[in-house]
Amino acid sequence: MNGSHRARPDRATAAATAAALLMALALAMIFFYVPTDVSEGYSQRIFYFHVPIALTTYFLFTWGAVNGARFLLKRDISLDLKSYVPMHLGVIFGSLTLVTGSIWANIAWGTWWFWGDTQLTTFLIIFLFNCAYFMLRFSVEAGERRATFSAVYAVLGVGLIPLSVIGVHVAQTNDLIHPITFNENGANMDSSMFLTFLVALAAMITLSVTMYLIELRGKRIDDRLRAIRRLAGGEA
Amino acid sequence: MRAYRALLRKDLLLELRGRELVPAMVVFVVGALVLVRLGLGGERLAGGTRAATGLLWVVVVFTSMLALVRSFAQEREHGIWDGLLSAPADRSAIWAARASATFLFLGVTQAVALPLFWLFFLQDGRSPSLAVLAAALALADLGVAMLGALLAGLVSNVRAREVLLPVLFLPFALPLVSVAVRMSVDSIPPQNGGLDALQGLGFLALYDTIFALLGWALFEYVVED
Amino acid sequence: MSSPERTPAVRCDGLTRRYGERVALDAVSLTVAPGERLLLTGGNGAGKTTLLRVLATVLRPHAGEVAIDGHVLPHDARKVRPAIGYVGHEPLVYPVLTARENLELYAALYGVGRERIEQVLDLAGLNGRGGDPAGELSRGLRQRLGLARAMLHSPSLLLLDEPTTGLDEDGRERLRGVLAAHSGAAVIATHEPDWFAGLEHGRLRLAAGRAA
Repeated sequence: MNGSHRARPDRATAAATAAALLMALALAMIFFYVPTDVSEGYSQRIFYFHVPIALTTYFLFTWGAVNGARFLLKRDISLDLKSYVPMHLGVIFGSLTLVTGSIWANIAWGTWWFWGDTQLTTFLIIFLFNCAYFMLRFSVEAGERRATFSAVYAVLGVGLIPLSVIGVHVAQTNDLIHPITFNENGANMDSSMFLTFLVALAAMITLSVTMYLIELRGKRIDDRLRAIRRLAGGEA
Repeated sequence: MRAYRALLRKDLLLELRGRELVPAMVVFVVGALVLVRLGLGGERLAGGTRAATGLLWVVVVFTSMLALVRSFAQEREHGIWDGLLSAPADRSAIWAARASATFLFLGVTQAVALPLFWLFFLQDGRSPSLAVLAAALALADLGVAMLGALLAGLVSNVRAREVLLPVLFLPFALPLVSVAVRMSVDSIPPQNGGLDALQGLGFLALYDTIFALLGWALFEYVVED
Repeated sequence: MSSPERTPAVRCDGLTRRYGERVALDAVSLTVAPGERLLLTGGNGAGKTTLLRVLATVLRPHAGEVAIDGHVLPHDARKVRPAIGYVGHEPLVYPVLTARENLELYAALYGVGRERIEQVLDLAGLNGRGGDPAGELSRGLRQRLGLARAMLHSPSLLLLDEPTTGLDEDGRERLRGVLAAHSGAAVIATHEPDWFAGLEHGRLRLAAGRAA
């Protein structure tokens, strides 16, 4: 018990350091190392923010859903926070995805929002799903029941994500080409671009893990404080 | 199986005696179609058959909300959950029965809505293929009913459930509607490529399969407390 | 007949149950031997109904151990449900369905033959009223229907929550008859323990979610 309490801050600090280093490296590579894209010019560099942020968002939702499923199976209430925190961070990264995606749409197609683009539309669906998750969570009193309901809805999201990707893709027959970053032959980029992209992705994921560890710690302190207050109130 | 049949009979009897849902859904769907018709302009139809077909699906989704919001209302209002939950029958039978009942209610409502849709919007002879539309509606209703029964169970013990249920449901309706609209619109002659109806139906069947599995597996968790 | 090695009908050890953050049952321990009838007493909000609902497998315990006939809840809930007859605050029936239709539904859920329906209608003194919608029955008759519902599958463990509420003299006599004929265990929450004189074997008083 004590050991794990001492270990947790260390993990957060280590993750924060790694995130800071990776982020600095990614920024340096994006602005000084990677060559300017021939067709879209200097502003295309937003790609190295947008795509890693979007992938990190999916990563966070999947993480939240997995911990939700684990809660349903094990009934360990600490898994509720471990499911909620990634979902919560998912909203932050999701908002950033929509903003950077909108900027990129403006660069690539000259419009702030383009409904013909499957990935923007898919992302919007997932984002609405996430907002609904929070509506549900705030409508239920804290406790086992809220944990259960949140977990069930998070797990449903695992069904929704692939359905949105496939559904939106199937529906858009007149698909205007989304700037394709990957195809069947692997990365559709030269190696310096791909390397920069990977470093940026690693930086974003490490950043999200750091935020996860820090927020989890904060939420746990909140919960303990509330438990102590309740005890004190009960004895008084 | 016996439990499922008895529960479905119960759900249908409740509707037959109480008439809480189907009459309201029918009146609502008629009103909504009139609203859409007026919204697309009085004499001349703005956007033509294509716009009307798309909006038909929007009306279908909003009408189904009506059916879902009242799911399990009797169980909640008269405290009957304890009786169903303490019985040894498989709890997913409750979900399956409720989904089947909703599916039937949606079917009845659409049997009224479709002829009206033809009357209001499709007088110029060009119309979506009835076979495609009917098949898409049946598969979409099935998905809505199965997911809806799960979500209705989820919100049945939550404050503000009437508001929350549409909010929870809507994101799941979006991929469904985007495919259903496209395949319905693309079945309007003259057909020039577009979405193949079988591909669209395949997607709807996939949607149904996923929420059949998730609903069946998760319902137990949403009703137990 | 009763040897100390026999598995208790109900065993709770440190049972805790919360609603949200409010603690409704706080580490309650009790044992009910096979054939024993235990009265639960205590004021409103003491946790009697919560305890019965946990035993009826409707609420899951949050801490502590609960076992019925040696089956641990909530894991083995499916195994114990056929053995439990639960009479709740509400009669647990659909008002727009007739008494008989309600019993037919529950007969299917419990896997019981239809012939049993007339027997329990008779047992509760509802013969002749089986075709009436449950919502049109008086409070007392609905309470009887709740009892008939609970006896449908001849349960070995009865869980009764204020079973005397609304019952007239005849209804009470029938309840007394049912309890006297019941050879299994029973847990009965009540505000009038004296009425059960001669039927009870033990009492447990709850106060603010704790055994007092």
